[in-house]
Amino acid sequence: MNEISILMYLLSRKKSIHQIGATKKEILKSLNVKNKNKSVYFQDLIMGLSKYLEPLGLQINFNSLNSHWFINYDIELTELISANPFEGRPSLSATLLCVLTSCLKNSGYTSIQEIRILRNKKDVKDDIKILEKEGFLEIDKKTTNIRLTPLIGYKLDLQKLFVRLALKLKE
Amino acid sequence: MKVEELDLSEKINKRIALIKEEVLSGKIKLLDLQLNPIFSEINDSISISNIENYSQSYKNAVKLLNQKFEELKNLLTSLDIEKKFEDFLKTNPGEDQISDLFRGCWRKIFHFEPISMKFLDYASNRYVKERITNFNIEHLIREKTNDQFLLEVPKYKFTEKISAFYEKINKKLPCFFEDVFDNELDQIEIYEQFVYLLHLLQLGKIKYEKNTNTLYI
Repeated sequence: MNEISILMYLLSRKKSIHQIGATKKEILKSLNVKNKNKSVYFQDLIMGLSKYLEPLGLQINFNSLNSHWFINYDIELTELISANPFEGRPSLSATLLCVLTSCLKNSGYTSIQEIRILRNKKDVKDDIKILEKEGFLEIDKKTTNIRLTPLIGYKLDLQKLFVRLALKLKE
Repeated sequence: MKVEELDLSEKINKRIALIKEEVLSGKIKLLDLQLNPIFSEINDSISISNIENYSQSYKNAVKLLNQKFEELKNLLTSLDIEKKFEDFLKTNPGEDQISDLFRGCWRKIFHFEPISMKFLDYASNRYVKERITNFNIEHLIREKTNDQFLLEVPKYKFTEKISAFYEKINKKLPCFFEDVFDNELDQIEIYEQFVYLLHLLQLGKIKYEKNTNTLYI
């Protein structure tokens, strides 16, 4: 057993439906790294594993929503295996975008009423339920507030989405 | 004015390494850092005599600059992002249009159940074991001996053993297949006798009826 195998295990494990991989702290703790230059060591480790994974069509990524490092398939493979979880269900993509917009506007929380207005649709409950079931959002049973889970940070390249949106608005 | 014969390349490299460490540990943000002093220092102290040492320093400094540009680009695209999303939704896009916005942004996560520590340990051990194939062939040391070398051979020939076994079970036949081995407790003996039985069946000395599980002559 070496650092690479331990790292591989940590980055590919699924803690829950919306928690995959490991944080930097967890990785350093598992590898018992305590030296002064641990951040540089950590970066070297990630770069090292990423070089091993590259020929397999895998890459290491960082989910800024929950500070977890994880592994995903590279762009070429992703295009081949269709990563879109809402393939053939555009209604869910539309509702998710509305949830994302509203959460960004309201410091992370939104409500069904707000989504309904943004979505310009009377009934969004079914979409919300499916998105909750698939792990994209959580609904507070008491307040009925909706908030996004970190899953969106794994499944979506948010930076790329922002760029695409900016370009779309310029058209 | 250039400071001739002064080689600051190592000092600059150390400084860049420190910046890198501080950025990675979250102590400083690259966007808050002025990179001009580093480039000025390179510019002021580089000369024909030390140009070779400076190539790495320049490369490291440019790397930092590129990273800073990348961070700036990310910052600019994420500025007022909620307003951009709202503006987009105000144009009343259709579901397909929204779905198209996500195109190329989805990621497929690699999650593989068998990559547990136990599995990796097992795989690692197996891999190591399988790789040990290059045995060193060492020359044997010739032993001096006055005795004549004899190859140890079995006491009886195989055919003699089969014949002995045939004689032994001959009286029992016809009988059930299992009854041939009924007195035998030693597993090795049973295997050995089973091999003899197979040979006898092949030779046609004994026959077997599958439906009744009976051996007969």
